[in-house]
This record gives sequence, structure tokens and C-alpha cells, in this order.
Amino acid sequence: MKKSITISYIFLLLLTIISGIISGTINKNISFIILLLSALKFIGVSFYFMDLKKAHTFWKSIIIGYAIALIIIVLMI
Amino acid sequence: MKQEPINYSNIYYPPGGILMWIIISLELITFGMAIIAMVYSGKQEPDLFHQSRMLLNPIYGIINTILLLTSGFCMAISVHYLRINIPQKSKILLLVTMLFGMLFLLVKTFEYNEKISLGFDINHNLFFTFYWLLTLFHVIHVIVGLVILGSVYFGLRNKKTTIEDVEASASFWHMCDLIWLFIFPIIYLFF
Repeated sequence: MKKSITISYIFLLLLTIISGIISGTINKNISFIILLLSALKFIGVSFYFMDLKKAHTFWKSIIIGYAIALIIIVLMI
Repeated sequence: MKQEPINYSNIYYPPGGILMWIIISLELITFGMAIIAMVYSGKQEPDLFHQSRMLLNPIYGIINTILLLTSGFCMAISVHYLRINIPQKSKILLLVTMLFGMLFLLVKTFEYNEKISLGFDINHNLFFTFYWLLTLFHVIHVIVGLVILGSVYFGLRNKKTTIEDVEASASFWHMCDLIWLFIFPIIYLFF
């Protein structure tokens, strides 16, 4: 378990640094990519740090659904 | 310390407890609506939001994200050690968690001081109104989280805190991470 938390931590740090680097580039899809990386970090923290991967499907669905819904709404506006 | 195995796959017992998850859900909905309102306002005045966003230093945001993630990592390991009955290591990691939380507040203080000295207060424009409201509400949650973790630490020292209390407190602390993970890109990178 400690190993999975450590791996996810390194992964989260990498995603944060990648977000910072690509935010300076000019690309029409950059907003989508930044939000997608944030959603991945969001799911990583909830599943591995908060141990939600052991929880009932209902709670996992709520978190994944929230991240997807927020991205879709923000991109649709 | 009394430790009973919990079946987390039961819908009524998510890690941290169902009451904490109800709070987390409400907080995420509230911050989500504020983020949507900010993006909507940003689409009405794209130039203003872009120019204002360029006045922020994303390095502060990246450092704060790393500090919160490191703090969350230490918290998760602390709970792990408590579950396998190594409370000594758990307590040390709880202190490290709080240390990174305080470093987050320190960086935020520097950033706020810089913004105020440049005149970018809450009334400067609509972007900065959202900036101050979203980040200050988040900071309040971090301060509340630190108070909860402090009480859990002393509870662990006096052997009065159960693992369920620690898990619930950890869930609240991780919620601060979750909120920040969407506030950071929207405020510092999106516009």
C-alpha cells in the first residue's frame, strides 16, 4: 500500500510540473489538456491518498462523475 | 487503541466515514459552482481575465500544489502506519503533514502580501474578486484542517483518538488538496 501511495505521489508531482510547463505553450487545446491533467490528479488523490479505491462503486462514481462534469461544463461555457 | 476492521466496500462506510463524505461532497459542489461562475465571467470579459491572470505568478501556484500534494502524501502514509499499528511513525508523519500545510500558508502569505502591495485587492477587478474569494475560502479550509490535525495529534499522544477519527481528519485534509487541484489551474493557468 505504501508503495502505491508513493508511486501515485511521484505521478502527481510529474503531472503538476507538466501542467506548469505546457500552460506557457500556445495551442488551441491547451485548456482541455490542463483540465484533463487536473482531473487525473483529482482522481489520483481521491483513489490513492483517500483510499477511495477500496470504497463502494457509488463513491468512486461520484468522484469520477464530478471531475468529468466539471471539465465538460467549463469547456462548454 | 481499539482497532476494528472496517469493510470500506460497504456503501455506508467510505474511508473517512459517510458524514465526512457528505461534507466533502457539499464542499466540492460549492467550490465547483464558484469555479463555473468564474469561468462564465471570464468568457464575458476574456481580455480582462487574461491580462489579470498574467499578473499572477504561476510559480507560487505550482509550489503550493507541490506542498499540498506532499502534505497529503505524508498524511496518507501516516494513516497507513496507524493501520499497521506503528503509531510512533504515524505521529511523526502527522507533524510533517502539518509542517507542509503551514508552508503552504506561508507561501500564500507572501503571495497575498505581494498582491496587496501592488494594489490587486478584492475590488481591483472581477478576476481578482474571484481570485481572493476562492483562494481565501480555500485558505480558511486549510487552517481548519490544521486545527483538526493538531487535535488528532494530541489525541494520538494521549491515546484518546481512534483510527476512525484519524481517517476522517485525513479525508478532510485531502479535501483541501482536491479543491486546490481545480482552483490552481483555473486561476493560474486557464485564462
